[in-house]
Amino acid sequence: MALAASILVGVAGVAGVADAQPAATPKVDVGSAVKKLKSGDEAQIRAALDDLRIAGPAAASAASAVAEVLSKGLTEALAQQAIDTLGDLESPDGSAVLAQYATHRTLAIRRAAVKALTRTKGKAAAPALRRALSDPDAQVRGNAASGLGAIKAKDAVPDLFVALDHKVNEAAASIGLLCNAQQCEELAGKLGKLPFDVVTSGLEPVLFRPSSEVTDDTKIKVIGRLRELGTAEANRFLKDVEGRLPKETSPRIRQAVEQAVKATMGGPQ
Amino acid sequence: MSTRTILGSIAFVTFLSASVSACGASGRLRTFSTDWTDDQGASIGAVYDRLRNAEPPPSADLVVSVAEGNKIIGTPLGGGEQWTAMHALDARPVIAGGVVVVSGNKEIAALDAATGKQLWARPTGGMSLLGAGDDGKITAVSLAGAGGSKLLVVGRDGSVKTQIETDKSIGDPAVVGGVVFVPWSHQYVSAIDGATGDEIGRVTLRDKVSRALSIGGTLYFGELAYIRFDEKIRDASKGLASRVAIPQRELPGTPRLLVPGTEKVPPVANARDRDRLFGRPDGTSDPLAVDSNRFYASYYRIVFGFESKRGHLAWVHTHPNDLIGGEAVLGGVLLCDEEGKIVVLDAQTGQVAMEKSIGEPIKSCVVEADTFRAPKPSSSPKSLGQQITEAVTAKEATLATAQRLLLRELATLEDESATKTLIDIASDPRSSPVLVTDARAALATRRNGASHMLAALGKHYDYLKDVLASPPVGPIADALAAMKEPQAAPLLAAHLFDPAITDDDVKRAAAALAVIGTEKELPQLKQFFAMYRGTAPTEEVALAVGSVGEAILRLDSKGGRSLVEAAVNDPMTNSVARARLEALLAATDKGGGDKPPTEKAAPKK
Repeated sequence: MALAASILVGVAGVAGVADAQPAATPKVDVGSAVKKLKSGDEAQIRAALDDLRIAGPAAASAASAVAEVLSKGLTEALAQQAIDTLGDLESPDGSAVLAQYATHRTLAIRRAAVKALTRTKGKAAAPALRRALSDPDAQVRGNAASGLGAIKAKDAVPDLFVALDHKVNEAAASIGLLCNAQQCEELAGKLGKLPFDVVTSGLEPVLFRPSSEVTDDTKIKVIGRLRELGTAEANRFLKDVEGRLPKETSPRIRQAVEQAVKATMGGPQ
Repeated sequence: MSTRTILGSIAFVTFLSASVSACGASGRLRTFSTDWTDDQGASIGAVYDRLRNAEPPPSADLVVSVAEGNKIIGTPLGGGEQWTAMHALDARPVIAGGVVVVSGNKEIAALDAATGKQLWARPTGGMSLLGAGDDGKITAVSLAGAGGSKLLVVGRDGSVKTQIETDKSIGDPAVVGGVVFVPWSHQYVSAIDGATGDEIGRVTLRDKVSRALSIGGTLYFGELAYIRFDEKIRDASKGLASRVAIPQRELPGTPRLLVPGTEKVPPVANARDRDRLFGRPDGTSDPLAVDSNRFYASYYRIVFGFESKRGHLAWVHTHPNDLIGGEAVLGGVLLCDEEGKIVVLDAQTGQVAMEKSIGEPIKSCVVEADTFRAPKPSSSPKSLGQQITEAVTAKEATLATAQRLLLRELATLEDESATKTLIDIASDPRSSPVLVTDARAALATRRNGASHMLAALGKHYDYLKDVLASPPVGPIADALAAMKEPQAAPLLAAHLFDPAITDDDVKRAAAALAVIGTEKELPQLKQFFAMYRGTAPTEEVALAVGSVGEAILRLDSKGGRSLVEAAVNDPMTNSVARARLEALLAATDKGGGDKPPTEKAAPKK
């Protein structure tokens, strides 16, 4: 969203939402906020960041100003606030500086930067999140893995598989969101090798992705792997899937799921 | 004078005893008397004159081991069959000349050293075996009990020739030509006629003494050093005897050259047996020296060979199992391990010169090697650096003391491979923390091996690649900065953004960049400066900001100063960093920074 810095933004107004929508987001004077950001004064910067966070994506035009002040250096508290603000603004303009802070020595800052990157997306996000998969901190790794799924970083799937093999369990869900046919089958092949819950956190999105992304053939292969397991937990999972299948699900898939549910009934715990 | 002649000259001995000066009221030395006035070597000189040509007969070259169930195993080092014998054991067996003396079940017994067959047994009354000496005809045994000590002299047929009981603390005796040499009270050695029990001579030593030993046909006294029984023994009380000691140097643990002869040694090896010092006097040298110019220390399964004059480390051998006994032999050192393996190491190189198996695990061993000489090893030796590397990379907590010593030795080697070993230890998460600390300290002082350091800096913590430890960035930064190594700058700059390295490493990397950073690193330096001037989580990182500021001032003559000034004027800048930056600004003129080093300033390789 490219809005001039001085434009007064009313998010509810811009969105033009109906009465049923949540309460309107307060209006923020982006121009004034940017001015405060450039003041060099700690209190004014804090106030500006507060205002921008409240505005959220509607104030995305202020992202470059926030990024600039962050790149010049702030106190730890302000840096963290600026990072969170960039996440809330969801503008790709913030991703370059967030990528830098994703390597910060302070763990809280690193975690915040990685989380924010999953919202800003942008060119720098995917490489930074892929690097963060190797971070010494498990939470940073997990957030990075989730983030790669969220930003649809398909190129990162091989890295996500490595992460999954290194107990970054969040990688499974992201693989499920991004995998091609071969990768989806590879994920299904992890059944019985990795914890069931971990693998199915990735297989579930596979089964619910549109057929334009994941073909019925691939989904049937995945269902087949679950059926082969024959365990009670596989049965529970398949039953749950069966109950949530959208109306437009192809008869082949529906039938495969139904048969798999029956085949796995009474299986071992 | 031959041994036979000496034994046949009892009348002469009696005369000799009667003629020495400073004797008791009867004109004779009273055995183990303490009212004796030093006779300035007269009596011991007379004994020496009498025994001048009476060399102790060579002892059996033998390893005697104690195995499970009071099994005693004799393994000849030369020819001959290995033998076994059974006897209750309350002390470690003693090899003395041609016999092996064992003790247990309130008796001592002499076994034939060649066959293991029992020659005789005598009751001890519950006293403990301390030591024994033998000249092929008589065996002298020292025993200790609650009330004092006993010297028992027994013939080959088991008959008691002499028995002396005393309240003095006597040590391990030796026998030459029928004369029993008994160290006592840690300062005297009395020469006692084995047939009559008369004390025919005495010497006061200026060294602690509790053992008399026959080694390679020469008699020695000592505990902390060897004092040779030769012409100069008569000047021993003046401190002028022939003496050789192991030079003082740092050793792993607190090893002893000789177990005190007054100490009962248990049949099963204990911690003290895993921490030993070995050295063999060279009987032919004048002045007295150590054989092969080497002494040795063992520490669990590591063996050290030291040059005997100054104590420099010559070699290190890492053995597969813990070593529990041994002895210096001609041209090397012989050791036995708890798995029942005997290994002989070459004195000069530490290479394995000979191996032999006892055939079963053992609990302790004693060695006598009068004439046995270590064979020459066939393979070529590894470098000292390689030997140390092998020893220090063994992942055993018990070896840490020895490994720390070896690391310090390694740090003194000019060999570039020593640098690599230090890096490997400091980078290995399995290394003991004390070793990592030592390796890091040593690494910082290295002035060679830059290629290994640069290769190490190229690595980063990487969870997905299973690289779970960072290289020792700080010490390497110190070393490469001292070497003015320009290739290090980009690598160090990259590490500034690696959250896996320690804050100390960041501080030292930044300090190095202040010296060797180039314009190429300016973008990273500025990024670090901005990111951390207000968010430095520790004082080390704040100091790193100061060092990076110094680099920026030096490298960016146009904008560097204004950048640093702006940081100083910004209240959000960390106070420690600001103080450092203010000092930098005050110390530099406004004309801009110095030029970065453009070429390598001849680092020492």
